[in-house]
Amino acid sequence: MMDDLVLQKIAISGPTLASMIQRLSSSPADVDGLLFGHVTYIAPSTLPDDSAQSTPDSQLVATISSFLSFPSLLSFYDSLGRVDPSRLTPHLDRKTLLGWFSSRRNTALRPSMRESSVTHSLFSIPNLSLPIQNANSNSNSSFNPSIFLLFTTPAHDKFIQTNQFRAFQFQSPKLSFSPVSIDIVNIGPAFRGHYGSFSPTSPLPFLDCELRNLTAMHEDRNEENLIGMKQASKDQSELDMCAEGLTIERLRRLIGPEAVNYTAGLEDLYEKMLSKIESLARHVEASSAKVLEQENHNRKLRSKVAWSTGVE
Amino acid sequence: MSSDGFPPFISAQLRYLLDHFPHKIRVEQVRSGGSGGLDRFTLLIPYCLDYIKWDVIYNAEYPFAPPDIVFGPEDDDFHPLLMTGSEGEGDLNSRSRNILSDWNNKDPTKLLALIQELRDQYMFYQRRRAGEVDDDRLKFEISTILPREGIEMHISSVAEKAEEVKFAVPLMDMNINKMVHGCPWRHLQKIYLQVIYPVGRKYASTASAPRLKLMSTPELRALFSVDDVKLPSWLDGMCMAEYLPHLEESLEKQVREAVSLIDIRRRFIEALVPLFGRPLEADPVCFLGI
Repeated sequence: MMDDLVLQKIAISGPTLASMIQRLSSSPADVDGLLFGHVTYIAPSTLPDDSAQSTPDSQLVATISSFLSFPSLLSFYDSLGRVDPSRLTPHLDRKTLLGWFSSRRNTALRPSMRESSVTHSLFSIPNLSLPIQNANSNSNSSFNPSIFLLFTTPAHDKFIQTNQFRAFQFQSPKLSFSPVSIDIVNIGPAFRGHYGSFSPTSPLPFLDCELRNLTAMHEDRNEENLIGMKQASKDQSELDMCAEGLTIERLRRLIGPEAVNYTAGLEDLYEKMLSKIESLARHVEASSAKVLEQENHNRKLRSKVAWSTGVE
Repeated sequence: MSSDGFPPFISAQLRYLLDHFPHKIRVEQVRSGGSGGLDRFTLLIPYCLDYIKWDVIYNAEYPFAPPDIVFGPEDDDFHPLLMTGSEGEGDLNSRSRNILSDWNNKDPTKLLALIQELRDQYMFYQRRRAGEVDDDRLKFEISTILPREGIEMHISSVAEKAEEVKFAVPLMDMNINKMVHGCPWRHLQKIYLQVIYPVGRKYASTASAPRLKLMSTPELRALFSVDDVKLPSWLDGMCMAEYLPHLEESLEKQVREAVSLIDIRRRFIEALVPLFGRPLEADPVCFLGI
């Protein structure tokens, strides 16, 4: 068996962690869910003065970029902690799985019996491994989802809201969990290095930017008209993903010789992007309200079961 | 609502566990995981003349889900749900898996069954760990002592202390409960020998003798105090299989004597009735006081 890759640390942005904690602490019961992100080899930033001192060539860092929490327990695994891949795949669209998390109040900060089993099962599912960025040819280039993030609240503290969390990496040869340090990435000069490997996740459509004479090429363009129209409508729908009500023609004007009203055009683009975000937020708000209503209803039903006289 | 603050399905299973577990089990740190009422607690389960602490985590919000368990901090590689370990462990492993997959929150016996299976699995886990210790004397002791029934082992590896392996050896194949007339004890009374082996340094010239201590179940003290027993001395180069028969022989004699003394005391107290008249209140089991 190949040796498992050992993570140097796990990075998570402040807002992602905050929104996780908000989700966990607003939940009336225990919650769990999936962690998404990427794994990168990062060259250590400090050069050793002493060349004899052996330092690892590069460090493996996992970055948690988003999470998904499930509305109820035992959602993607059964009571024995066996993961059901068919219940995972709907959530894996274009996202790479790093591992999962569990939050349970008033308990010890150690993986439980079922959590160990879920982590092991998730690790062992074929085809879930993700490619490592910056991997060089002689190093291992894929990473199995082996991260487990555990949240709890201390049992004795009733008056202060305290959240404890610890990250583990599952080591398959020994079937054990080793703690990994968590690096909370914030905005600021101290964290500038973390944005070096930043890549946008919602790119604008790729537009042709040939500085050709439009009038001279007019004849050719007519022939390409059908293809051009298809391309334009494809570009338009891509642009619609991130901005509201901005035509592709106007975006096209931002590049090439027509980019005269550059500033005004950019401002307009940003404005339209903001209004897109705003309308998305409204959608989310409305659907969240519906989800909450349904969840409350489910809770009432479950509590009826729990408090009905237990023995048949 | 049940009086103890648990939802009825948890309350029934916990009560059944406490009433039917063969040893005295304790419940501590009863707590809640949310707004649905109390649903998690710590069990102190007797093991190897000590307690192991397991957190049992139900979820009041999800009554159909079986409870999860967090084991002690020293046992972080005890994974009873993973299919690993030796043959014996494998069988137990599938038994506890069956209990969990056939979970029924309305069946009060389920928690008891789960805890019993997991404790058995834990026993095998500790036995395997003790067997893996690189110490020749220990390997010999384990191989010769294993045929004895009910033997338990525990390996402790607390950072600041030296590693040691603890044995709990149940002594004498006799049922003391049956020997005592009108026995009031719910749990089976037993005397154990605790043997603690320091794990040998490779280059130590002579292996040091193990630490020995007699222990008994608490109720037995009224009849027979193990603290008063003088243990035979452990000779150099001795092993448990040599040591135990002598100890058991002399202990058995002392226990029988203690039981027969009860009878004598009872007859004595009964003889006092004509003198003092009724009612005469006496300790009803061992007749130690009036």
